[in-house]
Amino acid sequence: MINSLIFNKDLITRYDTLGPRYTSYPTAVQFDESFCHDNYVEIARSTNEEPVPKQLSLYFHLPFCDTVCYYCACNKIITKNRAHAAPYLQLLYEEIKLQSSLYDRDRIVEQLHWGGGTPTFISHAQMSDLMRHTRDAFSLRNDDRGEYSIELDPREADADTIALLRSLGFNRVSLGVQDFDPEVQKAVNRIQSIAETRAVIEAARKHAFKSVHIDLIYGLPKQTVESFARTLQKVIELGPDRISVFNYAHMPRRFKTQKQINKADLPAPTEKLNILQHVINYLTQEGYTYIGMDHFARPDDELALAQKQGTLTRNFQGYSTHANCDIIGMGISAISKVGDCYSQNVYEIGEYEKLVTAGRIPVFRGLKLDGDDLLRRDVITQLICHFNLEFEQIETRHRINFNDYFYNEISILKGMERDGLLSIDAERIRVSPAGCLLVRNICAVFDKYLRQTQAEQTFSRTI
Amino acid sequence: MSSTHQIFDISKFKVSCGNCSLVELCLPWGLKVDDLNELEKIIKRVRPLQRGDYLFHTGDKFQQLYAVRSGAIKAYRTTEEGNEQILGFYLPGELLGLDAIDTEKHVCTTVALETSSFCAVPFTRLEELCQQIPGLQHQIYRLMSRELSSENQSLLLLGKKSAEEKIATFLVNLSSRLHVLGYSSTEFRLPMSRQEIGNYLGLTVETVSRIFSRLQKDKLIVIDRKLIKIVNEHGIRCMCTGNKESSSKSRSATGH
Repeated sequence: MINSLIFNKDLITRYDTLGPRYTSYPTAVQFDESFCHDNYVEIARSTNEEPVPKQLSLYFHLPFCDTVCYYCACNKIITKNRAHAAPYLQLLYEEIKLQSSLYDRDRIVEQLHWGGGTPTFISHAQMSDLMRHTRDAFSLRNDDRGEYSIELDPREADADTIALLRSLGFNRVSLGVQDFDPEVQKAVNRIQSIAETRAVIEAARKHAFKSVHIDLIYGLPKQTVESFARTLQKVIELGPDRISVFNYAHMPRRFKTQKQINKADLPAPTEKLNILQHVINYLTQEGYTYIGMDHFARPDDELALAQKQGTLTRNFQGYSTHANCDIIGMGISAISKVGDCYSQNVYEIGEYEKLVTAGRIPVFRGLKLDGDDLLRRDVITQLICHFNLEFEQIETRHRINFNDYFYNEISILKGMERDGLLSIDAERIRVSPAGCLLVRNICAVFDKYLRQTQAEQTFSRTI
Repeated sequence: MSSTHQIFDISKFKVSCGNCSLVELCLPWGLKVDDLNELEKIIKRVRPLQRGDYLFHTGDKFQQLYAVRSGAIKAYRTTEEGNEQILGFYLPGELLGLDAIDTEKHVCTTVALETSSFCAVPFTRLEELCQQIPGLQHQIYRLMSRELSSENQSLLLLGKKSAEEKIATFLVNLSSRLHVLGYSSTEFRLPMSRQEIGNYLGLTVETVSRIFSRLQKDKLIVIDRKLIKIVNEHGIRCMCTGNKESSSKSRSATGH
């Protein structure tokens, strides 16, 4: 279905609360530090025993950046010294070896992603080495049918980098742009020309990358509707297959680098909403399909097709077409989703080194989902990916009676129905065009843990 | 002042065959109340095993029979080349050790696939008791016969031509054994791994997974990790005999 979207400023203002982005459910706040190496190993091994083990999705965290972007909330290491990457990569190779020993070799890597940080901070030789170590340890596809993607900083990549990445097996690229406006770029310390960006995209097209994705952020300092409109126009001219427009959440107490952003420069809430409204109107008018949350895609892009077929899912990188993978996250702070568990690696390199060199999977927290968690995750994924929830599907899969099990939730949803966010009857929930932008709020109704953490205000604003 | 906690010792727990849900499958079936009491006196409850724990090893002195009360057990022998060859899987109500009566030594190794509990029946005492209780003797013959018959079933299973027939037969067999226990015959969790299924059936793990995927694709079963749901019981039964025509949805039946 092509999602029609209605921008209703009144509703958005009213529902502007803090809420998780549901790249996982339960969210990382629920991960428990009693979950360790032994738990992970047992679960990883048990997934090999399934009659049809899930295929694998590998995530590699490459945390280094040459310069700091003030808005960034990722786990990163800012350094001008390229030599810092080498010892980290040695540890990463160790982790690859440890992890791969847990998984049967007939489990094909359907999905692979390098994230950061800036993955292209490392040298060309190091990129080749990392991929070689990965290929030695895991069964990667050789037919270009996997979804192998990398986050690119156009300032740290040229046509040669693109050619190399393609030859290493990457076929999807995600470009950080954020904003082309010089004033905004200065205010966030990320100076990046259109020419650099265009060169990378042209190279990606030339080398037949299957999908080019551009990341933008709204709500950055010095942004106005007019300035962001100019950025969007330039982005469209570059012709990406997918665009995400993330909401900047100013939380300087939690993310130290954000302290360098002058709060007075941030667009006022109404201006921010006007920007969002423009984004939606403009991108849909330019023929992009609204996938959900902050994602747009061309109607012929895999994400849009997966949504149409009902196979879209959500993972730590956002939306994804591969629902049925066990996800192995490697590198500092990387999150894995294996079996019915989530687990996360340690954040700090020293700690990472200690564990990996001792032959331990460097997990420091995680969670084994119980039946209720699995049920709620299923509901949230359906809503956030398809804006539609058929009770019967959930009832067969989880052996519950939806209306009995979610009696309280349904009464809250009735209130949202009166507000026009959704319609609910005895068989399904349908998110309305005005409710699409507030799907996080709708999902939050099913989040059992949110009520406990809401008061602590640990999440970013939904819009 | 709180009293000190007594550690629960399962071996001291009095066995009550009369109340056991497995009574119809196990030794006491058909015994009179008095005879049942005599039997209960010799049966011991043994400590439950965790996944991966051994019940007995090949070559161990045979002293008692074990009745599985809960869980699942794998029996295997190690080949001369040092490989494991799985002989069978045991579910509640089934007896382990009957094959050791002859040599008085266990001829296979048994290991728990999940948390499992057992009753132990000292064999010498059982033999003595058999002389007093003819019904018991008869029941032992029946159980041995059941074991022989299931061995035959296994041979037939292994003799199946295609991997598809083997897996379908394996699933149907498991399903009917679970049905006898009062569990669902159409929805169950596989206690064994795909490696173990492959080892038992003489198939590679890749083949096991490929066939399971195909059964799912053909809408005969639905797989959710180790949970199997048989959605087309007739179809899967037809597949046991290699009768694919009637297992797939009679595509050709409409004719031209």
